[in-house]
Amino acid sequence: MAGGLAGSAIGMAIAGYNGVAALAEGPEHLRNVIILAALPMSRVFYGFILLIIVITIVVPKLAAMPDPGSSGFAVAACGLIAAFAFGFSGIYQGSVCASGISSLIMTKGRILTNSIMLAVFVELIAVLGLVFTIMALSILGLM
Amino acid sequence: MIISPESLAVLGGAIALGGGLAGSSIGIGTAGSSGVNTLAEEPGQLRNVIVLASLPMTQTFYGLIILILILTTVIPKLSAMPDAGGSGFAVFGCGIIAALAEAFSGAYQGSVCASGISMLPKTKGRILTNSMMLAVFVELIGVLGLVFTIMALSMLGLF
Repeated sequence: MAGGLAGSAIGMAIAGYNGVAALAEGPEHLRNVIILAALPMSRVFYGFILLIIVITIVVPKLAAMPDPGSSGFAVAACGLIAAFAFGFSGIYQGSVCASGISSLIMTKGRILTNSIMLAVFVELIAVLGLVFTIMALSILGLM
Repeated sequence: MIISPESLAVLGGAIALGGGLAGSSIGIGTAGSSGVNTLAEEPGQLRNVIVLASLPMTQTFYGLIILILILTTVIPKLSAMPDAGGSGFAVFGCGIIAALAEAFSGAYQGSVCASGISMLPKTKGRILTNSMMLAVFVELIGVLGLVFTIMALSMLGLF
């Protein structure tokens, strides 16, 4: 969850810097800038999904494990997977969106679709991180 | 005991996948942001840009392979070892091999792909094959990291 928050915050800040610069040149692009700058926000929700899963499903099963202490440590390690995925994908999706925003003026907004497509590739890594964390928890018998 | 051998081994696998995810994110992000600039100049190169920008994604799957191997094959063998605690720490060390290999090869494959993408308009797409060849060299380091991690695990008798 913290990795998701950190990644989203840094990504949106990077995209936002360029957004302000682009708006100074062409204020009519406000809608496109807001769309691109908001893309890295989804990491927060992925992190939140994972937090809810751990609290509602994993924690009740933990007490039934033969060695709850070491299983708890394993859950912490699985959380690390998600933190890496959300942290780094948020930051670098921000830089893709920032490039897109700075090209908006030159292309009169036509770059929006293409830059969303390239940003979705980075999004995919975050989704993979979420799925693989859930998979690791289920291999450990905690899901 | 909180840090049991099994949980240290899980941590090793988790770090391996985390390194793969970090490397893929950095690589795709670097290649993608130079891809957006190229598409702003020449929208016709979309297909080539997508091919080059998605190359660093493979590092995630190498990390995943290590995690699955550790969870399904290594951990059941761990309790049969004479010194389970020491073996668990060794598996953690092997995870760090894979994490470093995938993170660095993903990040720098992204910069090879970014250079290739920025040359696409000038060469009218002819640079695609050459830049893929050069990117495969960096990919090789990721594959070597995967293979050598498995080799180290099998030398320890855990695989």
